[in-house]
Amino acid sequence: MIEAAAQKTYDEKQDMDFSVLLVDDDERIRQALGLALADEGFAVDEAVSGEDALRRLGGDGYDVVLLDLMLPGVDGLQVCRMLRAQGDLPIIIVTARTDTPDVIAGLEAGADDYVTKPLVASELAARIRALLRRRGGTKQNISYRVEDLEIWPDEGVVHRGGKEIRLTRTEFRLLAELAAAGGRIVTREQLLQRVWGYDYYGDTRLLDVHVRRLRMKVEHNPEDPVFVLTVRGSGYKFGPPR
Amino acid sequence: MPVPRPSLRWRVAAALGLGSLLVTSLLALATWNLASDYMLRQRLQATTRQAEVNVRLVDETLRRGSDGLTELLTGLTTDPDSTIMLFRSSEVLTSGRQVDPAVVPSDLLAMARDGVPARQRLRADGIPVIAVAQPLAEGQGLYVELFPLVQLDRTFRFLSGLLIGGTVLSGLIGTTLGSWASRRALRPLTELTAAASRIAGGDLKARLPAQADPDLAPLATTFNTTADALEQRVLRDARFASDVSHELRSPLTTMVNAAAVLKRRQAELPGTAGKALWLLTSEVDRFARMVVDLMEISRADQVGDQQDFEPLDLEGLVRGVAGHKLGEDVEIVVEPPPPVVSGDRRRLDRVIGNLIENAEFHAGGAVRLAVLHHDGQARLEVDDAGPGVPPDMRTQVFERFTRGDRAGSRGADTGSGLGLALVAEHVRRHHGRVWVEDRPGGGARFVVEIPEASR
Repeated sequence: MIEAAAQKTYDEKQDMDFSVLLVDDDERIRQALGLALADEGFAVDEAVSGEDALRRLGGDGYDVVLLDLMLPGVDGLQVCRMLRAQGDLPIIIVTARTDTPDVIAGLEAGADDYVTKPLVASELAARIRALLRRRGGTKQNISYRVEDLEIWPDEGVVHRGGKEIRLTRTEFRLLAELAAAGGRIVTREQLLQRVWGYDYYGDTRLLDVHVRRLRMKVEHNPEDPVFVLTVRGSGYKFGPPR
Repeated sequence: MPVPRPSLRWRVAAALGLGSLLVTSLLALATWNLASDYMLRQRLQATTRQAEVNVRLVDETLRRGSDGLTELLTGLTTDPDSTIMLFRSSEVLTSGRQVDPAVVPSDLLAMARDGVPARQRLRADGIPVIAVAQPLAEGQGLYVELFPLVQLDRTFRFLSGLLIGGTVLSGLIGTTLGSWASRRALRPLTELTAAASRIAGGDLKARLPAQADPDLAPLATTFNTTADALEQRVLRDARFASDVSHELRSPLTTMVNAAAVLKRRQAELPGTAGKALWLLTSEVDRFARMVVDLMEISRADQVGDQQDFEPLDLEGLVRGVAGHKLGEDVEIVVEPPPPVVSGDRRRLDRVIGNLIENAEFHAGGAVRLAVLHHDGQARLEVDDAGPGVPPDMRTQVFERFTRGDRAGSRGADTGSGLGLALVAEHVRRHHGRVWVEDRPGGGARFVVEIPEASR
């Protein structure tokens, strides 16, 4: 219910109306980034801690959360997990930690994307826009079906065995991109470009973690996938293994 | 030229081998001398006794008249190889194996003639014999008997073969034993070497197993303590670098974003203040880039892992980065089949991107990229048509904060000064090489070679 309502508002909003919750314990970063994002056309609210963020998110709906991982009290990873448990609100992690384990932990906790400090507002704005981009208008009511998995890209719905599977926006877009290729290989670069809007310098760790999460949800046995297949050295493809 | 010293193991093995060879050869020599002496003496005594008996019989016969002498001589030669000769005044009577009397040495005969029984070893017609010469009674001549030594000779040969073989065998056994023992004794040292090289290779968790042997326990303990201290030190340094990096990132984030806000409103601040603002904001960007590069290079300094390595198509990487950073008109040459390397995508992206940026900053931009095969290496060439790099600067350009005073550089925007140092660092991590040379036709050619991965 909540999801459907949120979906609708995305489609109606212009860039200028996107509201962003910026969670960071560094006052100056909040102010500077807040000013710069406002320049980029976003409505920015600030939260100083994990508790503060959760309180604010409980009420009014935001379009996206920018989350620092190092927070006093309830830390960013925990906030991320709690938000993900509640719904599919897009989360971008804004972190000073660039080492692989930190990045992976953030993505595993359910983040849609991540950027590392020092980041420029324009770069961040591009990430937010990519994340909130409306679904490509296919117009026709296309659906894809492999075995007992059914995908309706226009409705944003996935069924397996007649039961709906809840995916985040990013997971759904990833699945839909693979399904739209109709069993052809989609390279990692193409996926990063189409799903996350990265021009080239995408981080494949981002993709790897999302594929893992997607498999956990859609595959009967994530260890032995039949829908989201890895093509070693080039990318992924959708479909029954041949 | 000094001869390389053989290894300790081989020296121990050789010493043990030589030692055992020496001892056994001394023993063998002593055995040979005693045994051969004894056997020869026994044989000599036997032949002398035999000869004395025979001489007595011959004397007897001669005294009775010379009838039946020939029969007697024939009867006396029991052995087919033995020979009896009677030297009488006018003739030589021979019985048994026929041998030329001339083989009997004249001084032997002379001694016997003087009344002294004599004997001598010699070879007669190809077989070793003992010649025993005795005077016959009443000056009737000389009795000479040749006893064959074939049996004794064979025994000697067998004995000497046995002793020599034993000596050689003992030398070999000594060498083997030495080699084995020294390897056993050096095994802890081998473990130490392995552990030390694992640490050198980046595995700070490598330790020696606890040793029960009192001679080895202190070594293992000292080594492990040192390794513990080293690991602590490295972890502390890494934590420090990571803390510094984190602490710097926060103010930088504030600065670059505040600068972005200011830049947007630059028009509102004319004159001197505006110029100062422009200086400030562009320096902030450069500063941010420098810090990010510095953090990357200090992270690259740390113990590296290869867990992010994957097979990568170099052509794909180059086209990806070039498509992002270069115009359509830049020539990209690829030698088929496109080389595949095992590497970290982000680091190799940085390598390609930094080389392209370097050409842009210092030489007006790259004019040609090439992806080639060269002796099992994947080779990347980035050419520019700038002034080139003078030979004495060619190593230096890959050092940190070396700024080229190359003509044609864009002055204000010269990058962080770490771009090529990062290239060198990342290439080294991929077990490759990077250098700069003259481009045929003018300009510089930066070359990266990374081992090709098996497909």
